[in-house]
Amino acid sequence: MSENTELVTRNEGPGELVHRLPVAAPAVDIYENEHEILLHADMPGVVKDDIAINIDNGKMTLSGFRRLQSTGASAWREFTDTEYRRTFSVPQSIDIAKVHAEIKDGVLRLHLPKSDAAKPRQIEITAG
Amino acid sequence: MMTRWSDLNQVLGAMDLFRTRMNNVFNEFDRSHQSDLPWTGNGSFPRTNLTDTGDNLEVIAEVPGVAREDLNVKIQGNYLEISGQCASDAPEGYTVHRTERKKTSFSRSFTLPYDVDADKVQANIKDGLLKMILPKSEKAKPRQISIN
Repeated sequence: MSENTELVTRNEGPGELVHRLPVAAPAVDIYENEHEILLHADMPGVVKDDIAINIDNGKMTLSGFRRLQSTGASAWREFTDTEYRRTFSVPQSIDIAKVHAEIKDGVLRLHLPKSDAAKPRQIEITAG
Repeated sequence: MMTRWSDLNQVLGAMDLFRTRMNNVFNEFDRSHQSDLPWTGNGSFPRTNLTDTGDNLEVIAEVPGVAREDLNVKIQGNYLEISGQCASDAPEGYTVHRTERKKTSFSRSFTLPYDVDADKVQANIKDGLLKMILPKSEKAKPRQISIN
């Protein structure tokens, strides 16, 4: 007779085997001028290839993975592998096709240019 | 009968999810990156990891956006001090909507578990992480003892 006293045998599905990184919201600064909205986000340890920025249906999701390579015995550990993730609402005045970003020294700089229609415009009055 | 089993499976699946969450409680302890949490004082920036690789100690610190020139590292015996300045990178002519990122000077000191050889310390900064390799001083290094 089987020693197994489990009522059911179940195998873990593929979705449950995925190792999930802890998620943290990066600290951000947001600036705006008449041409664009500028977002700075702290993502220390994240390299260019591990960042994804999705804009869909008025929502922008920033996501960046950090994988630390560490060897040796850990004496103390205050941060770990992390997924930085944060979602923002994007106004309709943003020209999504022209959004661009760069990352330097662990700071992501995301430029969200406004579409021409949304820029302030000086109306000239002609003498009639 | 089979339907009952699948009900049980669902319950166990939920238990598994709960267990995974509980396993992650301590990993997610640092999930918020704002430093104004009650249990992190002002002295907890930058956050660091320390590992011991036998001959060396390795310190990694999170210093996003801090320039090399703005960082100071002081070492004496087993005392390590990291200080510096998060320079403001606010662009000119923009209105500010939100400022969560740190823009002040910081200083943090540590007592390392061993004395280190300050002359041979290597430090580099990449992608906002400061990485230092601190060789242990000769008398603190592990030594192989031959048994007669």
